[in-house]
Amino acid sequence: MTREFSCIISRLCKRDRRSSLLSLQGLFSLPGLIGLLFLLSLLTLLATGANAAEPNADEIVERSNLAYYYAGTDGSATVKMTITDSAERVRTREFSMLRYDVKDGAEQKFYVYFRTPADVEGMIFMVWKNTKKDDDRWLYIPAVDLVKRVAAKNKRSSFAGSHSTYEDVSGRSTGDDTHELIGSENIDGREAYVILNRPKDADIVEFSEYKVWIDKVHFLPLKGEYFDKAGKLYKTLLSERIEVIDDIATVVQGRVTVEGRGSTVIQFSNVKYNVGITEKIFDERYLRRPPRRWIK
Amino acid sequence: MKSLLLKIVTHAIARPKTALALFVIATVIFLAMVPRIKIDTDPENMLSPDEPVRIAQTQVKRDFALHDSIIVGIVDDKSSTGVFTPETLERIAALSYEIVKIDGVIAADLLSPVTTDDISGDGGMLTIEPLMGRTVIDEAAALRVRDRALANPILKDMLVSGDGTAVLLSVPIKEKHESHRISTEIARIIDEIKAGGAGTEEYHITGLAVAEDTFGVEMFRQMGISAPLAGLLIFLIMLFFFRSFALVASAMIVAMMTVIWTTGALIGAGFSMHIMSSMIPIFLMPIAVLDSIHILSDFHTRYAAEAATPSSDGKADKKAIILSTVDELFTPMFFTSLTSAIGFGSLILTPIPPVRVFGAFVALGIVLAWFITIVFIPVFVTLLSDSTLKKFGSDTGNGTPGNNSTDRLKRFQLSLGRFAVTHSKKIVVVSLIVFGVSLFGITKTEVNDNPTRWFKHSHPIRVAERVLNSHFGGTYMAYLVLTAPEPGVITRPETLKYIESLQAHMTDVDVVGKTTSITDVVKKVSYELNDAADEMYRVPDTSKAVAQYLFLYEMSGDADDLYHLVDPEYAKANIWVQLKSGDNKEMKRVETAAAAYFEKNPPPFGIKTNWAGLTYLNVVWQDKMVYGMLKSLGSGAVLVFIVMTLLFRSALIGALSMIPLTITVAFIYGIIGYVGKFYDMPIAVLSALTLGISIDFAIHFAERTRRLRTESGSWAETVDRVFDEPVRAIIRNMVVISLGFVPLFFSPLVPYQTVGFFFAAIMAVSGGTTLLLLPALMNILKGPLRLK
Repeated sequence: MTREFSCIISRLCKRDRRSSLLSLQGLFSLPGLIGLLFLLSLLTLLATGANAAEPNADEIVERSNLAYYYAGTDGSATVKMTITDSAERVRTREFSMLRYDVKDGAEQKFYVYFRTPADVEGMIFMVWKNTKKDDDRWLYIPAVDLVKRVAAKNKRSSFAGSHSTYEDVSGRSTGDDTHELIGSENIDGREAYVILNRPKDADIVEFSEYKVWIDKVHFLPLKGEYFDKAGKLYKTLLSERIEVIDDIATVVQGRVTVEGRGSTVIQFSNVKYNVGITEKIFDERYLRRPPRRWIK
Repeated sequence: MKSLLLKIVTHAIARPKTALALFVIATVIFLAMVPRIKIDTDPENMLSPDEPVRIAQTQVKRDFALHDSIIVGIVDDKSSTGVFTPETLERIAALSYEIVKIDGVIAADLLSPVTTDDISGDGGMLTIEPLMGRTVIDEAAALRVRDRALANPILKDMLVSGDGTAVLLSVPIKEKHESHRISTEIARIIDEIKAGGAGTEEYHITGLAVAEDTFGVEMFRQMGISAPLAGLLIFLIMLFFFRSFALVASAMIVAMMTVIWTTGALIGAGFSMHIMSSMIPIFLMPIAVLDSIHILSDFHTRYAAEAATPSSDGKADKKAIILSTVDELFTPMFFTSLTSAIGFGSLILTPIPPVRVFGAFVALGIVLAWFITIVFIPVFVTLLSDSTLKKFGSDTGNGTPGNNSTDRLKRFQLSLGRFAVTHSKKIVVVSLIVFGVSLFGITKTEVNDNPTRWFKHSHPIRVAERVLNSHFGGTYMAYLVLTAPEPGVITRPETLKYIESLQAHMTDVDVVGKTTSITDVVKKVSYELNDAADEMYRVPDTSKAVAQYLFLYEMSGDADDLYHLVDPEYAKANIWVQLKSGDNKEMKRVETAAAAYFEKNPPPFGIKTNWAGLTYLNVVWQDKMVYGMLKSLGSGAVLVFIVMTLLFRSALIGALSMIPLTITVAFIYGIIGYVGKFYDMPIAVLSALTLGISIDFAIHFAERTRRLRTESGSWAETVDRVFDEPVRAIIRNMVVISLGFVPLFFSPLVPYQTVGFFFAAIMAVSGGTTLLLLPALMNILKGPLRLK
C-alpha cells in the first residue's frame, strides 16, 4: 500500500533530469554537448549492465527498498483493491491511506481509513512500523466504538483479505533475507536486476525463496516470484503500471496472483507526496476523530 | 441358434489349428486394449456427474474453498499431559513443516498448531496467530499451547482433543485420487521423525478420502493376488477330480480368455475400471469354469464308456463324442448362461453408472464364457492325442470300479437321492421352517455403508479411525449450507443466532462430536475484543458490528479461514458437522434431526439449506443403490422365471426350479440380518451373483431329470441315474467353487471376504436345496410333473 508514494528520486533519476535540463538550456554550447554525450554513454553503460561499477545485491535491494517504500517524506493516496478469489468471485476494498516516514529506510507510520464495503466504513487501521521490535497496530471498530491494539507477530498473513501479505504492502525488512544478484533480464522493455532472496529464518515464512526483478533506472521492483517449500512457484507480484508523480516514479497498479487462489489488483489514485502530514495524527486519539484535512 | 452353434463347432473341429489360431488372435487383440486402462476408484462416481447432489457438492467446495483432507492424529495416552510436551510438540511442528512440502498438499490450508490461527485478547492486545512455532521452550509453554486451544471453541475437539491429550492435523489435498500417495509420504515422514527420537506418542492416518483411495489401490492389488490365487486353487481341485492336466488346463484357458475378452472389451469401449469392475475377473472365472466342468464331465463319461467297449481298441471317435456332448448340453448350458446373464444384466436397471457398467460387462462375459466353452473345448479336445484322453478317463471311476473314494462318493450320491425321495415330506417341512426363519432374519437387515468399513477391523486406517474418534469431535465431515436470497443476510444477528441454536440441536445427536460455524467465530471475536468477559461470548446486536468483527478477523488473521465458513458476500454460511462415525445410517440420523429442526423452526429471511460433504454424498448413493438393487433383483427374478417356464414349457417346473434360488437368496440375506452385518454396496451387488448362479444347479438337475425319465423305466430308476453323473457334476462344481474362493477370506478388504462367503454360501445352499428339496418336491409332485 505504500507503493504509490514509494520511490525516492534515485541518484540516477536526478542525473536523468539534469541531462534534460542541459539539453534544453545548453544544447548549442560545446561543454553542454560534451556533457550530454558523456551522460548518454554513461546511461547506456549502466543500462546494459556492462559497467564495472555495477552495485552489488545488497545495495540494489537497499535502493529498491527506499525507492519503493520510502518515497518522499510523507504521502497520501486512495487505494482500491479488487480481489478475485479461486471461485472467480470479485470483491473490492477501498481505503484512504496516509504515510509518514520517521526515518528513511527505517521507522514509518501508516493510517488506513476504510471506505468500502459499506458496512465497514469508518474502520481505521493504524500501524507504526518498527525496525527493532514488532510493529504496533491499532484497529478502530466504529460499530461498537472500540479501539483495540492488535498484535503484529505474523507479517505473512493476508492484508485485508487480499492476496498481499502485510510484508508485501509495508515492506519486508531487508535484513531478514540474504540477497544474491543472479543476472539481468529485460521485462517489457525495461532492464532489470534479478535478485534471489533466501530467508534467514525459514520457519517463520511460507516461502523457500523469492526472486525480484528490480528496474535498473528507477529501482522499483517490476516483478516478484515466490517459491513454496517444495520449490514450486506459487505467488507472482507484478507492477503493472508505473507513472511519474511529483517527479517520483510510482507504481500505480500492481497485481498479486497466488496459484490456485485467485489474484488481487491494487490501484492507487490521488497519489500525492510531501503534502505536510504531521506525525501527531498517527495517534490513538485520531482513530475516533479522523484528521479531516487528509481524510475527507 | 443351436444348429448354427453346432455348425460352428463342426467347422472348428474340422480345422482345429485354424480355430485355435483365431482364438489366439482374438485374445491378443483384447489383450492389446488392456494398457489403455483408466482406473477410477472414486466412490463419488457412483453417482453420475449431473446428479444434483454432486453439482451441489462441487458448488459447496467452490463456494467455501473446501478440499478433501487427510487426517493425521497424534495421540499419547501414556502420559498425563498427552502430546503436550516440548519434545512431542516440536515433532508435530516438524511433521507439519514437512507435510506442506509434499506435492499435492494445499499448504496454505493445512490445519495444524503451527499454521492455524488462534485468537486471544490477552493483556488488552488482540492476537490472531498460530498456536505455536517450530520450537517450544519448556513444559509450561507446551501446556500453554494446550490451554489456549482448549479455550478456543473453534479449535477444541478439532485441532486439540477435548481431553487435552492429542493433536490432529487436517491435510487438504488438491486431488482426492492422490490421497493414498500423499498418506504414504506422510507415513514415511513420520517414520523419519520417529527415527530421530520419539516419545510415547502414536501417529494415525485416516479420513474418508484416504480410505476410499487406499481401497482403490488395495483393490487392484487384490485383483492381482486373490483372482490368480483363486484360479490356482480351482485348478488344483479340478486336477484332483479329473486327473488330467491337459483337460483341466483347457477349463482354465477358457476362464482366462473370458476374463481377457471381457475386460479388453470394457477398456476398449472406453469405460474406466471402477471398484465394481475390478471384480469382473473374480465373478467370471467361476462361471466360465462351471460351464467347462459340465462339458468336460459329460465328454469324459462318454469317452471312457466308448473307449471301454471291446471293439474300440481303447480309442474312441473324439470328434463325434464331443459333438454329441455339445448337442446334449447345449440347452442346459444355454439356459444357465442366460439366467446368469439376466441376473447381472438386471444391474443395468440400477441408477448407479459403475454398477450398470459392471452388470452389462459381466453379462457380456457370461455370454462369451458360454460361447468360448462350447467352441474352444471341442477344438482343444480334438487337438489332444488319444493317449492323453485315455489317461483322462482311466482314474475317475465313471462306471469303472476300482477307485475307493469315487465308489464312496457314488454310494453317497445314490443314498442321497433315495433319502430325498423317502423323506420328501420331512425335507419340505424343514425347508419351509428354514425359509421362514430366514425371512425373519431379512427383516432385521440394517442398510448401512461406510467406505472405511471396507477394510478389515485391524487395518491401520480403521484403527486410526477408532482411536481418533474416541478423542476428537469426529474425523468424518459433513457440511450443512445455508443460502440466503441476497448478500449480507448471514451477518444479521438473527441469522447467526438461528445457526447457533441449529448447531446446538444437531450436537444433541450423539454421533455429532462438534459443529463449527461463522457464529462461533463472531462470538469468539466478541469475547476476545471485550477483555474476555464471559457475557460478551455472544452475537453482537447489529449487523454492522458483526461485519466489522469479521473484517477485523480478516485484517489480522488468515482471511481464508473465514471463507471456509462464510462466503465473501455474506449470502451463504457453511456449518461444519464433525461425525464420529462415517456410517451412512449415522449421517442419516443427523440429516433427519436437522430436517426436524427446520420443520419446527423455519430459517429466517427465506434461507434455504442443503447438505454436502463426502459423508453425506455416500448416503445419497447408498439410498439409490439399495432401492435400485431391490428393483433390479425383483425384475431379474421375474425374467428368470419366465425363461424357466419357456425352457421347460411348464410353469410348474419353472416355479419348481426357482425354489433353490429363492431359498438361497432368503437364507444368505437372512444370515446377514441375524449376524448383524450391514447391507452395504458389495452385498447389494452380490444379490445379482446369487440370482445368476443359484439357479444353475436347478436347471441342470431338472433338465437332466426330465431327459433321463424318458430313458428310464421308473421314477425310482430315474432318481438313481440322476444321482449318478449329473449329481456328480453338481457336487464337483460345489466343491471347486466354494473351496476355490477360500483365498478371498484372507484379503484385507472386507468386500473380497464377502465375495468369498457368497460363493461358498451360494454353492452350499443352492446345491443343497437342489440335491434334497428339488427331488423331494419332484417326488411329491411326480403326478402333475408327469415323472411318475
